[in-house]
Amino acid sequence: MENKFNFNTIAAIMFVAGAIILFIFIPSHIDKPLIQLATGQFNLSPELFPRIIAVCMFLLGAWFLYKSRSLTEVNELLNLDKEAIVNVTTTLVMMAIYVPLMVNLGFVIGSAIMIIAMSTYFGNRNYVAGVLVGIFLPMAIFATFRRVLLVELPPFPIDIYPLTNWSLI
Amino acid sequence: MFESFVEGIGLALRLDTMIYMSGGLFLGMFVGALPGFTTLMAMALLLPISFFLDPLLGIPFLIGVYKGGIYGGSIPAILISMPGTGAAVATTFDGPALTKKGQGRKALEMALFSSVSGDLTSDIITIALIGPIAAVALLLGPPELAAILFLALIVISATSSGVFVKGLLMLVVGLFFGMIGQDPIGALSRFSFGFPEIEAGIPLLPMLIGVFALPEIFVNIEKKASSLIKAEDLKISGARLTWAEFKSCGRTIARSTMIGTGIGMIPGVGQVVAAFMGYAAAKSASSHPETFGQGDLEGVAAAEAANNAVNGPTLVPLLTLGIPGDNLTVILVGAFIAQGLRPGPQLMEEQGALVFAILIAMVIANILFLGIGYVCIPLFARVVSLRKSFLLPITLVFAFAGTWVFRAQPFDLAVLVFFGAFGYIAKKIHFDVTPMAMGFILGPTLEYSFGQSVTLSSGHLFSYMLFERPITGAIFAITPVITYLMWRRSNRLRNQFGVDE
Repeated sequence: MENKFNFNTIAAIMFVAGAIILFIFIPSHIDKPLIQLATGQFNLSPELFPRIIAVCMFLLGAWFLYKSRSLTEVNELLNLDKEAIVNVTTTLVMMAIYVPLMVNLGFVIGSAIMIIAMSTYFGNRNYVAGVLVGIFLPMAIFATFRRVLLVELPPFPIDIYPLTNWSLI
Repeated sequence: MFESFVEGIGLALRLDTMIYMSGGLFLGMFVGALPGFTTLMAMALLLPISFFLDPLLGIPFLIGVYKGGIYGGSIPAILISMPGTGAAVATTFDGPALTKKGQGRKALEMALFSSVSGDLTSDIITIALIGPIAAVALLLGPPELAAILFLALIVISATSSGVFVKGLLMLVVGLFFGMIGQDPIGALSRFSFGFPEIEAGIPLLPMLIGVFALPEIFVNIEKKASSLIKAEDLKISGARLTWAEFKSCGRTIARSTMIGTGIGMIPGVGQVVAAFMGYAAAKSASSHPETFGQGDLEGVAAAEAANNAVNGPTLVPLLTLGIPGDNLTVILVGAFIAQGLRPGPQLMEEQGALVFAILIAMVIANILFLGIGYVCIPLFARVVSLRKSFLLPITLVFAFAGTWVFRAQPFDLAVLVFFGAFGYIAKKIHFDVTPMAMGFILGPTLEYSFGQSVTLSSGHLFSYMLFERPITGAIFAITPVITYLMWRRSNRLRNQFGVDE
């Protein structure tokens, strides 16, 4: 058996620590019933199942800690090359920006900006196609959700103006 | 049960059901034909659409995506040796060789006809099996249900890809996520950490889309689209498949269908292993095994019939016991729950007609599958060359839109991104998220059944389970044995066919 400290060992330690934290949190993060009606009844306490889970996590974490030192799996996060790290990070940043854009500017405008920016970043050089897809696809999704599924996506900001009736689409 | 079946026929024969199912099949084939875009991702992304439709439209729509996606993966596998989905890997053994010989059209048509044959037969077997199993399931009470759920969760963890203890840990993490919100017995708040948005629990839809769809997108964006596929590679050439050629593969299709049907009922094994097993069985039974891998139509038929035959039987444990067998059926559970339907014995009792209608719709879907597939093969072949630079942002936009419509709360978008990042990291460090999703979905039911058992036992849980509920005791007793056998079997199959994740 190989005896080495690897990413699985770190994960195992995190599971064990997580189990201990969970166990400590149980009394303070679970509401108590205000009144106990039928005192003779045997009911499952809301704390029992979380305690079982915490104990299981601790025991499994300990097993994993023991087992981890013999595992030869490769941590693919460390194997990511620079391009992958940059691409994934950029996408996460774009997603983080997309949320306020979508909520404040509306789904269509926010999504159009997102599609145009992201498609350009990922290699599209046909800007006309990028703009057309960026505008018409979110409009199609918006219309489908609104008219077919009868659910709302964030509307256009100019929806507040009475002359602009976006519900037409 | 028979009355429900007859009623189900009437419910299933609706024009709008056919239209939505056709839409699902088309979208499934479309996504399946895109290399790197999986059926799982398509189902997770399209799940929100099913939420806002009638159950008889939404669930058949998703089933259409499921069936279409599994078949769609064979198109790039045959044309350019690039499987659209994992299920189509075995198709690359003979498909591209047939294309090189100028028989691409024959191979694509053989893939379509054998997929439909396998799928149709396994659906009919599913309908025949579901009635008796549901009748037995109806006899189960809360203790038995708790025991079965416990067994199912352990088995799913054991058969998930990777190390057993990692599967179990992910299950426990899923059970913890499932505890956040209200406890299912007394509705007391648990672990909401001051966030009112999760007082009722972590929202299911953002979690499912995040954990199943976003990691696939992240993997796809690691490299910018560089490999250009030439248009001439996607030309479908050669003569059409003849009846005699299809008939000559009849035995292989029947064998692969039986293999796929059997595999479909085992949790956690899935289409990939079924396709490899079907292929291997066809090769060893053949009088000309040397032609396999050199462009043999039988090789395509064997893999495709087997992988599509898995689709129907995976619904047997889901609909009768409420246990999803793989990540694709977890998505279907999400669709059922969103419709206010909880898969399990009660569903069969209360909504038997609806369940049979969905199953009959699956059978009808195969006829639509044949028509859409046959007409649209050239179109789906072109789909292979669509630019990733457009597809990736579009899929992201769709994921965000689907999440938003669930509750119209910006917090859900944060949940989506959190679970997306969680799923991606888990994938990279070899933790399978399927047991986590199963734990999240089944955890509250398990706790509720366990709570009911505690109440029924009047404080003497162990003696109650052992002496008054012998079936419960027996299920608990056989859990380690079944878990070991399933773990060994799935590991052996994975090792034998070199299948990972």
